[in-house]
Amino acid sequence: MTALLDRVPESLFRVVAFAVIAILMFMILFPLYFMVTTAFKFEGEIYSELTWIPREPTLSNFRDVIVNFRIPLYLRNTLIVALSTTAIVVVVSVLAAYALTRLRFPGRAAMARGVLFVYLIPGSLMLIPMYLTIVRLGLKDSYLGLIVANLSFAVPFCTWLMMGYLRSISAEMEEASLIDGCTRLMSLWYIVIPLSVPGIVTAMIFIFNGVWNEFIFALVLAQDDAHRMISVGLSNFYRSDYYMVGPMMAGSLIAMTPVVLLYILAQRYVVSGLAAGAVKG
Amino acid sequence: MSQQTLSQPLASSRAESRRRRSPFAGDVVLGWLLVAPALLIVLGMVGYPFLEAIRISFTDRMVGRGPGEWVGLDNYAYILGWPDFGEMVVRTVLITIAAVILKAVVGLILATALNQSFRGRDVLRGVFMLPWILPTYIIVLVWRWIFDGQTGLLNQILVSFGLLAENYPFLARSGSAVSLLIFVLVWKGYPFYALTFLAGMQTISSELYDAAKVDGAGRMARFFYITLPGIRQVMGVVLLLSTIWTMNSLEIPMLLTGGGPSNATEVFPLLTYHLAMQNFRLGEGAALPIMMLPIIALLVLGVASYMDKEATE
Repeated sequence: MTALLDRVPESLFRVVAFAVIAILMFMILFPLYFMVTTAFKFEGEIYSELTWIPREPTLSNFRDVIVNFRIPLYLRNTLIVALSTTAIVVVVSVLAAYALTRLRFPGRAAMARGVLFVYLIPGSLMLIPMYLTIVRLGLKDSYLGLIVANLSFAVPFCTWLMMGYLRSISAEMEEASLIDGCTRLMSLWYIVIPLSVPGIVTAMIFIFNGVWNEFIFALVLAQDDAHRMISVGLSNFYRSDYYMVGPMMAGSLIAMTPVVLLYILAQRYVVSGLAAGAVKG
Repeated sequence: MSQQTLSQPLASSRAESRRRRSPFAGDVVLGWLLVAPALLIVLGMVGYPFLEAIRISFTDRMVGRGPGEWVGLDNYAYILGWPDFGEMVVRTVLITIAAVILKAVVGLILATALNQSFRGRDVLRGVFMLPWILPTYIIVLVWRWIFDGQTGLLNQILVSFGLLAENYPFLARSGSAVSLLIFVLVWKGYPFYALTFLAGMQTISSELYDAAKVDGAGRMARFFYITLPGIRQVMGVVLLLSTIWTMNSLEIPMLLTGGGPSNATEVFPLLTYHLAMQNFRLGEGAALPIMMLPIIALLVLGVASYMDKEATE
């Protein structure tokens, strides 16, 4: 077997590699292609037959989700929660990461290690505890409740990401500034933060996407329509007996647009975050 | 390393710094001040809820019915005594293992294929990141529609090509439902494996391969003796992390099958949700994750020590 594979000529090996890539690529693009095309089909066409290209392209599904379903409201809710969470987390995490990587104080090592543990705690473990706490705080069905719940994942994650980033940049300029009479905070503001912009951008993208794409906590913590998040709003197009495929695909297309745009604009940062171990999934 | 360079003046000239104020003297107060907001969030929103959940797991608290009564270990006994419990654990473990192995195999194959140099590789890499960046709930909703027994796309295709005589309810038969759950887990997860494996492969020096070729090592020998050892570290972290996330994946089974048909895909996180949020039995819902804690803690400890070592090296 091994010897046989070794005798395969390089050209054939490349053909096989391309075939593998092509098959996997097809598997990825297949559902996405039909999601996009179905969003532009009339209901009759969706259920009656298989068409690769919409026979009569229509925007009726988009009009439906915008006018008849409250998708704009859900998008607004999600945007409010995602932006607030991102803003809070970036400030809190950059400060903490700076202290945990650069300052010397008792308890630092233990906390630096703790960050990783907390980040690794799976969400399913925290679901009920978080629900109980949010209810007790009276924050169920509120933006603040959703923000607070998202903070609990995003802060450890972002702190961990920023610690890794800060460790990768040299402390020499900082030390020089301290010797020249800068205080710690001045050096943080004028030297460390400007140097960490790529890391901060990466962290912000991951947090924003994380909140935007979050489903389980949005489902449990915001059950009223006024605070519903887009993930829950879209999954409601599914009833156990009947579901609206056209509007659902149109809504999905709208909901994934910011994430995809952000990713295209900042692919470089996303790849660097990937290398830093930014997972969940 | 940065911290050592910073700390050296402090350590070496302690006597001197007592006389002349060291620039690092304020670190203790400042350090705690800067960490305080993050620490408060973690203690308040992770630490406290977790302790509270342990307490509630000893009560019969239900949704909207006040604090509940102390029932000792009743919730744990109830879950353990439940005939389906063992099956649920086995099911969770088997689905996790199957999904993780498949993700690793497909990811490794794709990484190897992408590790060839050819034009347009960066575009391809971008496409392969799509499952990883797209919202999980959208991916699952699309697949669910494709697999649907009435109007699903897969049925339409299979029937129109004459491969199926009539629609097949893929998600309503336990065998196919379990397979399709694993399929969606793998579809969503393997690109991350491939991209991290690829990143690892690209750090391996090409000189190693050249030297091996000179020594007459074939393609397979080079793969097993250079490539695999070269990405062992990355593979270890990714496999452990992915095992944690896969085992705790709630969104995918919830939206794809909802645990059905007849509990065939009822995995541990989903059961937690059903106990607490559908049966409103918060005590039992809190107890179940605590019972799974030893397994999860072991995995988390493993991967944390791995990643910690890597980060501080």
